[in-house]
Amino acid sequence: MLDLDALMAEAKRVLDEGVVEMVIGFKAGDTPLHPQPAFFTSSEEIDQLAYNALCQNNLATYLTRFPKTQKIGMLVRGCENRSVNALVFEGQHPREGLYLIGIPCEGIIDWRKIVEQTGEEVISVVEQSDNTMLVEARSGYFTLEKHSLLHESCARCIHPNPISADIVIGDLLPEGDPALAREQVAAFADLPVEERHAWFRQEAERCIRCYACREACPMCYCEECFVDHISPRWTESGTTPAGMQGWHIVRAFHQTGRCTSCGACERACPMDIKMTYLTEKLNDDMRRKYNFEVGLDAETPTPFSTVTLDDKSRFVV
Amino acid sequence: MNLILKKDQLNHLLNAWRQDYEVYAPQSLENFTHFLPLQDGFELAFDKAHNTRIPPKALFLPTSEALLKFTRFGGYEQVPSETAPRLIFGIRPCDAHAVTMLDTVFEQERYMDPHWVARRDAAVLIGLGCHVPCQTGFCTTVGSGPFNHAGLDAILTDLGEIFLVETLTEKGERLFTQLEIATEEQSTQASEGQQAAAASMPIAFETEWLKEKLDQNFVSPYWEEVSRSCLGCGVCTFLCPTCFCFDIVDEAQRGERVRNWDTCMFRTYSLEASGHNPRPSRVERTRQRLSHKYSYWVDQINQIGCTGCGRCVRYCPVGLDIRAMLRKAHQLPSEVAHAQ
Amino acid sequence: MPNEAQSPYLPIPMHVLHAYYESTDRSLKTLELSFDEPQDAREFFAAFNPGQFCLLSVIGKGEAALGVASAAWEGDFVRFTVQKMGSVTTALHNLKPGDPIGIRGPLGNGFPLENWKGKNLVIIGGGCAFSTLYALTKHLHHPSNRGDYSKMTVIYGTRTSGLCMYKQDIAAWHQRDDMEVHQAVDVPEEDWLHHVGYVPDVVKEVSPSPVNSVAVVCGPPIMTKYTLPALVGLGFTPETIFTSLEKRMKCGVGKCGRCNLGPKYICKDGPVFSLAELNALPADL
Repeated sequence: MLDLDALMAEAKRVLDEGVVEMVIGFKAGDTPLHPQPAFFTSSEEIDQLAYNALCQNNLATYLTRFPKTQKIGMLVRGCENRSVNALVFEGQHPREGLYLIGIPCEGIIDWRKIVEQTGEEVISVVEQSDNTMLVEARSGYFTLEKHSLLHESCARCIHPNPISADIVIGDLLPEGDPALAREQVAAFADLPVEERHAWFRQEAERCIRCYACREACPMCYCEECFVDHISPRWTESGTTPAGMQGWHIVRAFHQTGRCTSCGACERACPMDIKMTYLTEKLNDDMRRKYNFEVGLDAETPTPFSTVTLDDKSRFVV
Repeated sequence: MNLILKKDQLNHLLNAWRQDYEVYAPQSLENFTHFLPLQDGFELAFDKAHNTRIPPKALFLPTSEALLKFTRFGGYEQVPSETAPRLIFGIRPCDAHAVTMLDTVFEQERYMDPHWVARRDAAVLIGLGCHVPCQTGFCTTVGSGPFNHAGLDAILTDLGEIFLVETLTEKGERLFTQLEIATEEQSTQASEGQQAAAASMPIAFETEWLKEKLDQNFVSPYWEEVSRSCLGCGVCTFLCPTCFCFDIVDEAQRGERVRNWDTCMFRTYSLEASGHNPRPSRVERTRQRLSHKYSYWVDQINQIGCTGCGRCVRYCPVGLDIRAMLRKAHQLPSEVAHAQ
Repeated sequence: MPNEAQSPYLPIPMHVLHAYYESTDRSLKTLELSFDEPQDAREFFAAFNPGQFCLLSVIGKGEAALGVASAAWEGDFVRFTVQKMGSVTTALHNLKPGDPIGIRGPLGNGFPLENWKGKNLVIIGGGCAFSTLYALTKHLHHPSNRGDYSKMTVIYGTRTSGLCMYKQDIAAWHQRDDMEVHQAVDVPEEDWLHHVGYVPDVVKEVSPSPVNSVAVVCGPPIMTKYTLPALVGLGFTPETIFTSLEKRMKCGVGKCGRCNLGPKYICKDGPVFSLAELNALPADL
């Protein structure tokens, strides 16, 4: 489990020494299942810093809200670190303006999986050990296996360690098995086209177009999203099949070579829509066709933002 | 009149209603419950959660609906309103109460919304009171309650093997003609249970002077504080049973003018063609959301525009809790409160 | 009486009677629309009051809210002046005489003309928002209306003389002895005979008397922002200053929530508010 004291000490230090003007982390939520992202600007405030496996957001999504001149400290897990790298590469914040406090991540717990087992009314959650959680619910006490509660993106995570943090709190964890991610891709991609389409429709057509997936995603920082564009209109508005499918397809494509598989989109979705089966397929294509994985550093250009003179697609050059 | 409905007779009764109505009741959809029309062999999902994920306002104001159909040569015609009779079974009192608030928007004398009115007129609402109130809910704080009657034609109270049925309107009475009358003990048991349920709910925040405090602190660092981690998505408002904002868009390809749910939490909602945006950031948008519910509705209908269903608390992706926001609002300075 | 079964979202079928550019830079175009059904015209004019607006509908493109720029007595047509801004207003600019179009309206409250009877009217406009004030002035010019009001003063400013709307009519107004007209441009121009400067300054220069007067201000937000205090400075009370608000609108009938301003909807409860009413509303514009 995370050494919270060490994390707090480092957060205090960087604020006190003026290394950063703000640390983005988490604090305890108003409800036990939902810790909240928090923005600490003084070392006194750091006393409120809290962290557990229910911290479900990708904090990098807040990075683009702040001026590029601001010195920002951020708590980063493996995926967040890669998202930050991708944002740095895309010019969204200079790396010199960031201080990344890394924590090796054992995976984010999907609160929905807790309520599946305990009922909606959860009173308290305590991480007992590396493997178990004690949940007090109205229906009684439950000792739950952490691994069974992991969000699917985390269960198949390849890079749980912060890859380029300025400091890492805690011991590095073993890398994940890429075969798990490939298995998940295959579970969708190897289906016959009709079944893939049925799967896609079943997921996408529950959408209510609230755009929680977009707002939760660090890479969705466009000032004007394609769905908000009026002239020309790129996709139907509203919850028609065409509108919902249009949103989910194009959203996934815009993530090609940019998605760090954090799964924040799925965790934010109020309709429990699965989305990573699409982005993971695209990530797999990037790995196989371009030997590229986003966010491993902040320098390697993404294949889709690179043009060479011998590009096979003649229309590009 | 109080009647007794044995739980093992419920499905029979629902099937009987299906002769005359399209009967909607909470059923499982993926991981959650949703108001869906009953089909043969239906399974109700009352045990899954206290409330459906999407509020039943969607039965009267769908996420998307056509207002006009375009005809040839630049013409157009009105899309007829849906008038098929519907019975909504198992709606929770918070959601039914919310529907009555939306009536004040859509059933105004000067501009009736024919789509809303037609669906409302054709609907019967049978409520299911919450004998075990949900944790994120705060209905009693905002002037509703786990057995509130507003908007309902009848309300059921769970008494174990049986439901006690209170019919509240003529529409409701007509549905329960075959049932035996409840004994005095049963009625007493139900009313004690109802009171106990309400009493078990803590007051989530003070509502006295809340409106004045919000109004008088329209410009305050408070708004930045409470909106700092807000993502700016539409979860809280789309899942809210009293939010009703919509957008009107022409779908040229489909030949329709449609209205879609919209929300004051989106940047584009208030963005004007000139580029000016009166609510440029999440700060102003959060202020609009809270002020609308806790101040503007109060001015308009003398009720808080929130029935405490707790969906926004449960499903906010960053765990923002409106109850905590309003507790904090109550700490704000206010001239009125100090004068008292 | 509007038919209850009829949707407030259903536009009245009309067609374009005249379409002509209003400004030399072609950013403003005036459309005069006539009703397809005589019954619709009767109902429209029975309900119409200057200061009201309509939603102009280009099928397949959408709707745009525009103030009515004509008086009922002018004939069985409704005039609008459209500034080219987004996709709908561009589509409106592309309309030609004879083209079909729909409108919803008249919407909103309009100017409280009954309460203004017997008073001096100071009419202050800037840019294309002057259109509803043009409708007001035209309405007041009708012999059966003019006698109900006392002195009439019009102050109208535009960035350049080319952007001045309704040029011929306004030129004729200068010749009338029953009104005072002050025109202004922001920066000096050759051959310009009138005021030079921003509207709030011109208002101070003209200095209309607040005694038994009401002032009505329609213009871009920045002009309104500075003109309202200028009038207060001249002694006008907040109850005698009126302005027309603009906010993004969709339904126009107080349902969609867009133009919510505190407990009011600008479309339904406005767009015309007195400064006293405005002061009681949140600064959410």
